[in-house]
Amino acid sequence: MTTLVAVPDQRTDSAAFSEEALTHLDTLYRGALRLTRDPDRAQDLVQDTYVRALRYQHSYQPGTNMKAWLFAIMRNLFWDRFKGGRQEDVSLDDLGDFALYDTLKDTSAIPETEVLDRIAADEVVKAVEKLPPLHREVVLLVDVEGFSYKDAAQVIGIPIGTVMSRLHRARQQLQKQLYDYALESGIVPAERSA
Amino acid sequence: MNGNLSCDECMERLDEFVDRELTDAEIREVRLHLEFCPPCEERYRFQAGFKRLVKVCCEQDKAPAALREKLQKILF
Repeated sequence: MTTLVAVPDQRTDSAAFSEEALTHLDTLYRGALRLTRDPDRAQDLVQDTYVRALRYQHSYQPGTNMKAWLFAIMRNLFWDRFKGGRQEDVSLDDLGDFALYDTLKDTSAIPETEVLDRIAADEVVKAVEKLPPLHREVVLLVDVEGFSYKDAAQVIGIPIGTVMSRLHRARQQLQKQLYDYALESGIVPAERSA
Repeated sequence: MNGNLSCDECMERLDEFVDRELTDAEIREVRLHLEFCPPCEERYRFQAGFKRLVKVCCEQDKAPAALREKLQKILF
């Protein structure tokens, strides 16, 4: 008798799970697109993520952060598939204490925040996609999707301190790339040569 | 109790302030400093603006309709 009762319940649970999972589709697709840098691969990655999520839905605890849970599945699939499971920490160029704000303040006649307004969206995306994947995923989680350091740390499986240091370096790298672009495109006048 | 932060202390917490990772008490300290320190306030605005720029630019893609339909078949 109990099994007969449980069947419709399970079905309802499963439908509710699927419905909630689908509300995160745009988020996952965006993440997949930035990670793979290829729309076809991104679609495959997202589809595989949902298939795996469905298979392991019993391990999801209702009421917890499903977006984080799905993201964790996706980034693990990404690393397995595209990087052979090796999460090598590619070191970023040492930029010292480069900060875009200071650089603009020292060299540019344009107000610093106005420079941000003039940067094309495509260039920002390009700069994000140029980051090494371990740094890119931290930016995606914290800056784009608004994850807390703690949730991002759990998704990736690293300490919070590592999230913070990767994020800091990643932002610095982004700012340097966008500064170079701003110089090349004339948004910021070239520095007066010494 | 002297809750006044120095500029250096304030800037050390800027990432966490922008990312909303500080406690309420820490937030109050940073806000108090920013209110009376235009240079730090300006730097804060820039960092917050930069975070917003990254978010807005990377948020524009939507999942293709075909993918959504395919998933609906798989999930339901």
